[in-house]
Amino acid sequence: MFEKILFATTGSPGCDSAARVAFDMARQYGSKLTLFHVLGIPGKGDSNVVIDIRSGEEVDVDAEYIEGVAEELRTTYAKQLEGLSGVELEVAVGVPSREVLRIARAKDVDMIVLCGPAEGQEAGFYKRGVVGDTLRKVAKAARCPVLTVSRPSASFWGGFSNIVFATDFSKASESAFQFAKTVAQAVDGELHLFNCVDLSRFQSAIALTQDGIEAKLAEARRRLHHEYALQLGDFKRFTSEVWEGTPYVEIVKFARERQADLIVLAHHARDVDPDERPFGSTLEQVIVRASCPVVSVNRPDKLPQAAEA
Amino acid sequence: MPEGIFCNKRPINTEEELKALLSDTRGTKYYEEMLSLEVDREKLWATIQKTCKSRTQTWLDVCARCGLCADSCFLYLVNDCKPEQVPSYKIQSTLGEMVRRKGDVDNEFMRHAMEVAWSQCTCCNRCAMYCPHGIDMGVMMGYTRGLLYSQGFVPWELKIGAGMHRVYRAQMDVTTEDWVETCVWMEEEQQDDWPGLEIPVDKEDADIMYTCNAREPKHYPEDLAEAAILFHIAGENWTVPSEGWEQTSLSMFAGDWEACKLQVENVYAAIDRLKPKRVIGTECGHAHRATVIEGPYWAGRPDGQPPAPYIHYVQWVAEALRTGKLKIDPAKRIKQTVTYQDSCNYIRNWGLAETAREILSYLVEPGYLVEMTPNKEHNYCCGGGGGFNGIGKFRPQRNKALLTKRDQILATGAKLVIAPCHNCWDAIRDLEEEYHIHIDWSFLKPLLIKMVIVPDHLKPQEEAGDEE
Ligand code: SF4
Ligand code: SF4
Ligand code: SF4
Repeated sequence: MFEKILFATTGSPGCDSAARVAFDMARQYGSKLTLFHVLGIPGKGDSNVVIDIRSGEEVDVDAEYIEGVAEELRTTYAKQLEGLSGVELEVAVGVPSREVLRIARAKDVDMIVLCGPAEGQEAGFYKRGVVGDTLRKVAKAARCPVLTVSRPSASFWGGFSNIVFATDFSKASESAFQFAKTVAQAVDGELHLFNCVDLSRFQSAIALTQDGIEAKLAEARRRLHHEYALQLGDFKRFTSEVWEGTPYVEIVKFARERQADLIVLAHHARDVDPDERPFGSTLEQVIVRASCPVVSVNRPDKLPQAAEA
Repeated sequence: MPEGIFCNKRPINTEEELKALLSDTRGTKYYEEMLSLEVDREKLWATIQKTCKSRTQTWLDVCARCGLCADSCFLYLVNDCKPEQVPSYKIQSTLGEMVRRKGDVDNEFMRHAMEVAWSQCTCCNRCAMYCPHGIDMGVMMGYTRGLLYSQGFVPWELKIGAGMHRVYRAQMDVTTEDWVETCVWMEEEQQDDWPGLEIPVDKEDADIMYTCNAREPKHYPEDLAEAAILFHIAGENWTVPSEGWEQTSLSMFAGDWEACKLQVENVYAAIDRLKPKRVIGTECGHAHRATVIEGPYWAGRPDGQPPAPYIHYVQWVAEALRTGKLKIDPAKRIKQTVTYQDSCNYIRNWGLAETAREILSYLVEPGYLVEMTPNKEHNYCCGGGGGFNGIGKFRPQRNKALLTKRDQILATGAKLVIAPCHNCWDAIRDLEEEYHIHIDWSFLKPLLIKMVIVPDHLKPQEEAGDEE
């Protein structure tokens, strides 16, 4: 189902949960795995010094240092690497989000696995707009699904059976739905179609009358049915539900209630301006709060083919 | 030892040589070898006789050592007004000595001169405005750097930088394939948000040919995407060349004149090949100086002009705002205290101070722009110009030099600094990192994209028809 997987990691403990999922998937699907580490951004004008992403220290990037980092990764993941063949290890210098997107494109991968927001990346200017938005930028621009794991998950890829597909009815959500559907069918799991009527988006008091909200809920239910449920054909193991509130809160609550082990959603463009959404996009909030892996899918380009599963 | 393996008088001409030099971490061996690098005195004197123009000779002669230039130099001020930092002293004790001694100088002298040329002067040309004779230390220091480079006395990073230009025709190892691939990549990446957006490569007879700074495709390709978005909104007929797209010149900072010539000729060849009506460079200040102001002379162009009209990015932006090709949403104008970093290279050297102010009048709500003191042509260098930013050996001196800009910014009370020049942008980023004054800094492009009114027909379908 996923021929080529890119796992972007710093090798730090914050990436352990994501690593387990990435390696499990590679095993399960016989995928070709690329381990990728971005050392950091070239600092200090145009010199050759790079600020190491983990330590926040200045380092001189030479062949020796790169080999050292690669060796460290190999040691960190020694156990997981056992018995996996053809794992590639790549190290790059640059802005993390850019370099992840660059290698994903160059290797034409089918899935990017990212670590969730980890601690210890707070140093200096990274805090603002460098590491913090790696996820946001990759999720928005990647051609393939992006899976993020920020907490130890109860179950992992292949073992899960409960998928929540959260939609805002955007075009990007259509691709996310195709993904959720294919995976649910492939693992013969359960699929929960979910929409949250975003009350925070209604500014006017009139729109907030109970009747108004109920009309919105009814409309959303209708759309879930017409736009998604009808596409499921013979696949009967699905539910469909509409709640109201703030989307990320409701998505996380809903996923917990259903004991979901995977949340699938689109990173919709509406969310992207970090200045206007100081607490981050719906996607980011879901990633930080959800107890299971989260996949974001924005485009139809690299969706898995059920037949190959 | 006449010449070292890493430190020698030979320019870098192959990828192998470049990689070898790069592998010498922080230039440790390079600087070690420099300690015993022999000065070719005869050649030095011959070069001076051949290349030291009468203007420079005159300047050296007429300088009255009056010291009126002292206070004009930010490096003099920031270094406790040490006499060694007086502009005239800096040049008389280096170039002046070389000339007086007819090239009969030793290794120690050359190493000292290197330190002066790259860590005590950013070639910002400010002193020239204050000398009663109009003596320009920036220009003379540039010339001195050339002499030092030809003898192998050049900071490690800049030897590499010049080598990059020689090998890749770019300040970084971005090949033609990398560049074109980046254009395709950015075009693809933007198409969801900007249907119909293109980054046309090698289109002939376009109205605009766009050139940039290699750090953009290398590390910040969104800079290229942003340029494309703004051209798209403005409805421009534009293109980028597959070769000759890199406009900067670290070789100019290094004093490698031959590499400067090779670099700029590459850009001019693209202009000749694609025949655009005019060329627009990115926001980088030294790129403009290298390709538009000094470039024509390096390339030996008889009219002293590039092959087509070549303007700086702020000129295009001002024009686009003036003619309404780009319209700013008044509700989105900046309503916080903001200041503007005048880049020496297109303000002092190209007279664009007012053009920059015109842009600001569109972007910033009246009353929110607080100018630095001094400003416009009188502004101080950011502290990292002339290659200073990139030289590890002189980092402590550079960090000290950043204090001028830090204090200028602090005095404005601004939390946002608009810094179109890439080098100034880097310096301001570094000063924030070094001194934590809690500011933001931005190029023009992202600000414009945030504030510009997007015509309905350019919006993605879904967004345009979306509820609410
Ligand atoms: S002001 Fe001019 S003449 Fe006087 S010392 Fe400086 S460079 Fe020389
Ligand atoms: S060019 Fe600038 S840095 Fe150099 S001496 Fe003159 S004022 Fe000082
Ligand atoms: S970096 Fe900017 S301010 Fe500094 S010398 Fe260059 S143009 Fe001037």
